[in-house]
Order: sequence, then structure tokens, then C-alpha cells
Amino acid sequence: MTNTVTLNHLGRSVFGGLGNISSGSLRTSLDSTWNNFLSQQQQRTFIQMRTVLKVVDNSGAKKVMCIQALKGKKGARLGDTIVASVKEAHPNGKVKKGEVVYGVVVRAAMQRGRCDGSEVKFDDNAVVLLDKQGQPRGTRVFGPVPHELRKKKHLKILTLAEHIA
Amino acid sequence: MASKALPQAVFITPRSSNQCPPKKLGLSTFPSPRSSSLNLNRLSTPRFSSNSFGFHFRPIVVSPKRFFILKAEADSEGELGPDENTEEEETVSEIESEVTLDAEDEAKPPRIPRVKLGDIMGILNKRAIEASEKERPVPDLRTGDIVEIKLEVPENRRRLSVYKGIVISKQNAGIHTTIRVRRIIAGVGVEIVFPVYSPNIKEIKVVNHRKVRRARLYYLRDKLPRLSTFK
Repeated sequence: MTNTVTLNHLGRSVFGGLGNISSGSLRTSLDSTWNNFLSQQQQRTFIQMRTVLKVVDNSGAKKVMCIQALKGKKGARLGDTIVASVKEAHPNGKVKKGEVVYGVVVRAAMQRGRCDGSEVKFDDNAVVLLDKQGQPRGTRVFGPVPHELRKKKHLKILTLAEHIA
Repeated sequence: MASKALPQAVFITPRSSNQCPPKKLGLSTFPSPRSSSLNLNRLSTPRFSSNSFGFHFRPIVVSPKRFFILKAEADSEGELGPDENTEEEETVSEIESEVTLDAEDEAKPPRIPRVKLGDIMGILNKRAIEASEKERPVPDLRTGDIVEIKLEVPENRRRLSVYKGIVISKQNAGIHTTIRVRRIIAGVGVEIVFPVYSPNIKEIKVVNHRKVRRARLYYLRDKLPRLSTFK
């Protein structure tokens, strides 16, 4: 999302700087920047190693970085579990920085197809931390969660959720 | 051959140009005042070629000939000179035989148009859409509509899920026509693609409309969440 915004600013500043050059060369450079801008609608992909995700429960962590997607060769999708390392945490929480944790992806920017032909996508990537048995470590979950968790047997998260998308 | 066939065609075209544009003949103009002697000389020659030419004519210029005949009988004395009159009577006799054959064709049942290979998917899509429209009519949806969708989810069969939001794009693909609906839910933007003719969708209702000047409103993803919030 921020990529498009910064490129827009870049395009505007370039235009301002080239104001004194003849119109021909100005148009070609402007065309190329606009082409880049237009093709910048990001193609969202899987959650893989080094992906930073937001944590949406009250377990104490704020941001985690994925170190392994447990299922899938290309990466994890909505509803899959990952192994992650905590990069940022609340000062007094159950989870500390640098801890290796398991989590389930509850929101993904990549669209996930459903069996009836519909697709769902969220604006950000988020996880809920789990323990080894698959039970959530926190007691509250923030934000919407998808239906896909029901099939993956994360029913506790569904009951804690504010909204099921 | 072409020059011989010319005068006959030339006299037919002023009739047919009233009813339908003359096909295949680049004979839009001809010198209207013609010397009578010239006409009489030329009469005999195109005779033998007229049949072939007329036969050639037949599948394309069937109707104007019929009109042609009616008109000739109606104003046989009116606008035309005597030379053209005689010529038309002769051509009329030649054409009459062909016209009777055409009349017989029309008496048979009209031919069923053959389905071309390229049309099949279009026809199948239309049938599928009609079948789905019978069960649940789909309102006219456009980008910028604020829409409420009631969906039956197989996992959550107790009650219907309700999705509200703005239509940011509509992709037309026959039976798989989809709309993409965006909304901010609990602080997070969610976009869901719904196939409009899906049997799982129990109701689509347009509650409002926002004036937009685009077909795809992808710019809403970068804008403030306030613009995508709907109570």
C-alpha cells in the first residue's frame, strides 16, 4: 500500500525538477514514471520466511517475523500455521522478544478462494499465537477473522473473535 | 460480358435502390438520357446472358425483383419512356419464372438458423443466467453502489451472513459475473469477491449509491478508512 504512495510523491517531485527542460523529453520521463505507477497495484503473495506480521491477540507480542510456513511449498496462506520469531513485544507480557512461537494466519493480503467461487482478502497480514497443541495463547482476539478457521479446527479463536468475515 | 450485362442491370438498379441498396454492383450512376436506337440494339445481346446474370442475382436480390415487378405493373405508363417499358416487360417475363420458384421456397417452413461454433459459450451462459434469474432476480449493479448481500455459508448453516459495502468493481463473465465489495470491518479493510449468480447468495439489495467517476475504485485502498466505512 505504501509503495504506490511513495512512488506518487516521487513522480511529482521529478516533474517539478524537470520544469525547465523542453517538453519532449519531459513527456517521455513522465510517461515512464506513470507507467511504473500504474503497474504498481501489488500482486500479493504468500507468507514466507522474513514476512513480518501483526499479532492480534493479547499474548504480549506486537510483531513477529515468519521463519517457516508449516504447510505449503511456496508459503502460508489464510488459515495456515507458521513458525515465527517475536520481533517486538509489550514490556510486560507472556511472550518476550526473540521467542520462537507458533501462530495461525488470520488475515492475509493475498486473496483466498472459497468453495462457492468467492474470494476474500484483507488489508494486512495478522497472526494469532498458538501453543504446540494449537490452542491460542491469548484470551482476546482483535479484528475480523475468516470462516476458514472453522475448517482448520481453530474454533476457540472463532468464539473469541469480534467479527467473522 | 460485364459490359453486355450492364444495360440490364442498369435498368434494374433504379428500382432496387428505393427498397434496398444494390449489392455487388458498382453501378451507382448511369447516364439517364439514352438514345432509343442504342437501347434497341443492346436489347438482343444481353438476352442470353440475362439468365446466367439473373441466376447470379437470385440469392441476393430476391426481394427487389418482386417489388420491381409490382412497380412496373403499377406505373408502366407513368414515368418511363416506351423503350424502357419494353425492356422491362421482357426482363419481367424472364424473372417471373425465377420468382415463382422463390415463392415455393417461402412456402416451406423458415430455416432454423444454424448455431455457429463461436456462439455456443454465449448461448450456454445466457441459459444459465436465465435459469438463475428465475430463482432469484438480480438487480442492476454498478460500481459505486452500496450494497447489502445475504449469503448462506455452508459452514454456518444456522443463519445468513450479511455483507455490506461498496462495489468497487464488476467483472462481467457470463455466469461468473462477480462484484468486489469493500468495507472496513472492525478497523481492518476487507474485500470480498461475490459471484453474482451463485445459489448461495440469498439476496442482493442496493441500499445507496455513491457518485464515482471510475469503473474500478481501487484507489479506495489507499485512502482514509472513513471512505470505506458503512454502518
